[in-house]
Amino acid sequence: MSKGVDVNLENVWIKFGDFVAVRDANVDIKGGEFFSFLGPSGCGKTTILRAVSGFLEPSDGTVRIGGKDMAGIGPNKRPTALIFQNLALFPLMKVWENITFSLEVKGVSKADRRKRADELLDMIALPDQGDKLPSELSGGQKQRVAIARALCAEPDVLLLDEPLSALDLKLRQHMRTELREIQQRVGITFIYITHDQGEALTMSDNVAVMRAGVVDQIANGHSIYNDPATPFVASFVGENNVFRGKIKSIEGEMALINTNRSGELLARIATAARGKLKVGDPAMMFIRPEACNIAADTAPAPNRLTAMVKHEEFEGQIYNVFLEGAEGKEIKMSLVNIGQHRQSAEGDNLTLEYVPDQAVVLPVGELASE
Amino acid sequence: MKAENFLLKFILIAYLVVFFGYLLGPLIVMSITAFNSPAFPKMAPWECLTFEWFDVLARDQRILSGIQNSVIVGIGTVFLSVIMGLAGALVLTQIWPKLRATYYTIVIAPILIPGVVLGISTLVFWDRINIMLGFSSGSFLHNGIFLTILGQSTFIASYCMLVFIARLQRFDTGLTEAALDLGATNVQAFRKILLPFMKPAIGSAAVLAFLASFENYNTTTFTFGKFPTLTIELAQKVRYGINPSISSLAFIIIVLTVVGALVHEIYRRRQQLALANGAPVAAVTGGFQLPKFFRGNPAAVILVLMALGGFSTIWFAQVYNPTECKVDVREQKRLIQGERIKAIRQKQLEQQQQKLLKGPDVFGGSKTQPPAAAGDVPQSPGKGAFGNVFDPGNLDKTAPQATPEKPVQSPGKGAFGNVFDPKNLDKASPQGN
Amino acid sequence: MTVTRIMSNYFNRNGFGLGIFLLVAVVFWVVILIVLPQISMLDFSFRHHLPPPEMGGPKDTYTLEHYKYLVLGAPGADTSYNVVDLTVFARTLLAAFFVTILDLILCYPLAYYLGQSRGGGMTRILVLLLIIPYWINEILRAFAFRIIFGDSGVINEVMLAMGLISDPIDFIRANVALYAGLGYAYILLMIFPIYNVIESLDRNQIEAARDMGAPWWRIHWRVVIPYAKPGISSGCTMVFMLSAGALAAPQILGGPSSLWFTQIIYQWFNTGGNWPRGAAFAIVLLVTCIVIVLSLMRLFKVRIGDIGK
Repeated sequence: MSKGVDVNLENVWIKFGDFVAVRDANVDIKGGEFFSFLGPSGCGKTTILRAVSGFLEPSDGTVRIGGKDMAGIGPNKRPTALIFQNLALFPLMKVWENITFSLEVKGVSKADRRKRADELLDMIALPDQGDKLPSELSGGQKQRVAIARALCAEPDVLLLDEPLSALDLKLRQHMRTELREIQQRVGITFIYITHDQGEALTMSDNVAVMRAGVVDQIANGHSIYNDPATPFVASFVGENNVFRGKIKSIEGEMALINTNRSGELLARIATAARGKLKVGDPAMMFIRPEACNIAADTAPAPNRLTAMVKHEEFEGQIYNVFLEGAEGKEIKMSLVNIGQHRQSAEGDNLTLEYVPDQAVVLPVGELASE
Repeated sequence: MKAENFLLKFILIAYLVVFFGYLLGPLIVMSITAFNSPAFPKMAPWECLTFEWFDVLARDQRILSGIQNSVIVGIGTVFLSVIMGLAGALVLTQIWPKLRATYYTIVIAPILIPGVVLGISTLVFWDRINIMLGFSSGSFLHNGIFLTILGQSTFIASYCMLVFIARLQRFDTGLTEAALDLGATNVQAFRKILLPFMKPAIGSAAVLAFLASFENYNTTTFTFGKFPTLTIELAQKVRYGINPSISSLAFIIIVLTVVGALVHEIYRRRQQLALANGAPVAAVTGGFQLPKFFRGNPAAVILVLMALGGFSTIWFAQVYNPTECKVDVREQKRLIQGERIKAIRQKQLEQQQQKLLKGPDVFGGSKTQPPAAAGDVPQSPGKGAFGNVFDPGNLDKTAPQATPEKPVQSPGKGAFGNVFDPKNLDKASPQGN
Repeated sequence: MTVTRIMSNYFNRNGFGLGIFLLVAVVFWVVILIVLPQISMLDFSFRHHLPPPEMGGPKDTYTLEHYKYLVLGAPGADTSYNVVDLTVFARTLLAAFFVTILDLILCYPLAYYLGQSRGGGMTRILVLLLIIPYWINEILRAFAFRIIFGDSGVINEVMLAMGLISDPIDFIRANVALYAGLGYAYILLMIFPIYNVIESLDRNQIEAARDMGAPWWRIHWRVVIPYAKPGISSGCTMVFMLSAGALAAPQILGGPSSLWFTQIIYQWFNTGGNWPRGAAFAIVLLVTCIVIVLSLMRLFKVRIGDIGK
């Protein structure tokens, strides 16, 4: 099987009439990488995928696959294979015919196709299912057939459009592992579209987070989560407590924020914002719920705040505690269940503290709407 | 409350009976008249069971050539309508949204335009094209078959298009994209993905088109030229005189229709059964387990019963000879008639006059011809005017060369029958119309 | 979006060969079979009735004579209007309207019953029974009614035998046979549009209405009929247009004194031999029917797109 090739988007714009679906996207995907586009529905990620697979031409800019400009090359001539959101298995063809459709259109003989189908069926652990119709398979089996069908075309780039969204939770988690394994085995470039951050973070080498047609950040999962480039990324990936305020002072990577309601708090300036923030600028500060903890020492400090417990949710491995700070500021704290936690009662006053390095400061921007 | 429910149920059943009586009654009546001996198709009074009208039908050259023309026109229309209807439906899915409503109105209009108008406009248009091109009046543009196919296809294509649109609405365009993505060309994607998906619809559109073409009158009546279709021939016959051989044709068509419908129903049933069981269709079709199969399948039971009935009828027709019964009826009629004649002298005179005026039998009964004349009809060499009429070969028009010899078949009887032909007495009735 | 852009998108999507094929088929159908013949007939209806050699000659000018004829009658006739043809025209439309109402009343209950009794073997058999008569030739269906209603038809014979009447009733002259035959011919076109719509009506709506104490007629008036409106108007449109344009049934079942307008058109084409006049009459029929249907659709607020669903 061929090794993966690079995919590059250079200043890609995609417009539908007056509507701009993708705005000046620049994305470099390295060969053999598992790359995800993450974003809410309608952010333009599927549009990008369709531009890569050739179902639509960018209004402006260049799509390169393996360094080659793809302009004017139709989907059937590109070295890509797409796994559709609804899988798009051909309902009237048997499983093995589905898998080897790409060979059928090339005129490969039936015997050879059958042989190849059996190899691929073994690979996806569905031996002896070749003569069934897709409608006779379970959801997970269909999923694997769709993957096998795409791989049979021996693409250099495999494109996946939210292929797991129709599966139930357990199967989805299982398929994540399986997809990652397949990708590592075949070694080709995977481009994965999802609105599920869990999928993006667990499987991908790199993730591009998109918002309303704009790529906000491209980085590995760790950076996306811990060092977001925009307030949108900070609030869309994972959960975050947001504090608005003004920068009071800057010291190296750290900044002291005079928040509107919660006093002065200390946080790290996000990598993307370094050098862009000055003292006095309005800013947003983000503290993850799991970065908060109950402080043993209640003395005021720039990494402590006080709040009153509103209610508590037990989620199994964690407790979510919902609190109300000064002037009704809502704060969420997640505590790991290590067995000894005392259930807090409504109305308890607590002092929270956090490691300032785990809180980030960013210039003011749009948040992900829940 | 209970009484009200009972009343409602009663009304519902009564309504259904009336409705389906209206719907099926005429067909049943017509079918029965095919087996009654009077020359004017009637159900009551019942005279004699006879199969002779099938024989008359089988010898009617105009009907036979009408069927031939109908089949040619039907095939042409199916071909043209299915292609245009499919193209029309595919274009509808892709057309620029602003044009869609206008386009849809245009292609749906032929269903609403009176058939007469379509026939006239086709005739006028091609006549002008013919003149414009300077062709003679005998050119193919004036050919009845050509014009009829075009005229019929104009609106039958709309019917086909509706069938295709209904099917296309359930098509996932992602499938075509998937095929393209896997390297298929546009034509391959069309041929391997869309066309197989449309296949059932193409089948039903073709059947629909053929039936619509076969029964069309309004359009064809302006365009048929020198090639009258079956419908045109029937209309001429029905307008200028009726005899039960038309009933027998109707009976044959009804039987074919019912059999076709039942076969279709069984096929559907079996597919549903297969889907319900979750087993592949092949598995169910392979295992033809009779008892189980019949339990859930009333259509199959009816079909088998019909087949049995059909075979026994054909057997019965081979041995049955209605001549004696006819003689009886004729004798009886003659007596009644005689009494009437005595009672009303005037009427008798009229009757005589009509008999004279009528001359040769116009109701198409080859029965009144001397038996020797039957010989000039190629399908049934040596057949008498009576008896052995319900030959299965006559039904499917394959014209068997070997007709089994019948003991009842005697020229003498036929000649004898003619003397007392009920038609000579009955003639007054159809004229009354 | 320019035309070239649209065309290039179109050919990208369908491929060249298939794209051309689709275009040719649709253009042939729409232009050559639908639009041009109608225009040609319209044009023809404004021409003089000329022998073929003079066509296109100096005498071949536009004229309103055929339309005038329909309204005013032959020049020099003793009446100032063409009473005969106009009466036939009005009667045809009225009768078509009557047949439409008849079919609607007859079919609505069954369509409702079929639409609400989901699936089931009974429904399938009823649908099959509905369809079977329509696979039988139009002429034969009319013929069947002639057998039933003729002078020596089933009804007369039975009634005579029972002594109910002493002379046969002339059902043909009374147009009973014609209405029965026309109504019969288009039952299917009325039932299926209504059935299709009612089938998609959520049964809970009816149950909710019943739950709130609405009597059955109010449920139909307020819930079912408004919902089924597209189907009803679609069925009515088709039945009206087709019965106004019917030719076979009036020819076979019509009494000697009751002409149908299509029969007059037919006569101008065949025995009359005056094609332009026949074309003019056909245009009048077509335009009138379209105007009636469109105004009724506007009245009941239904769109053309609902037809044929």
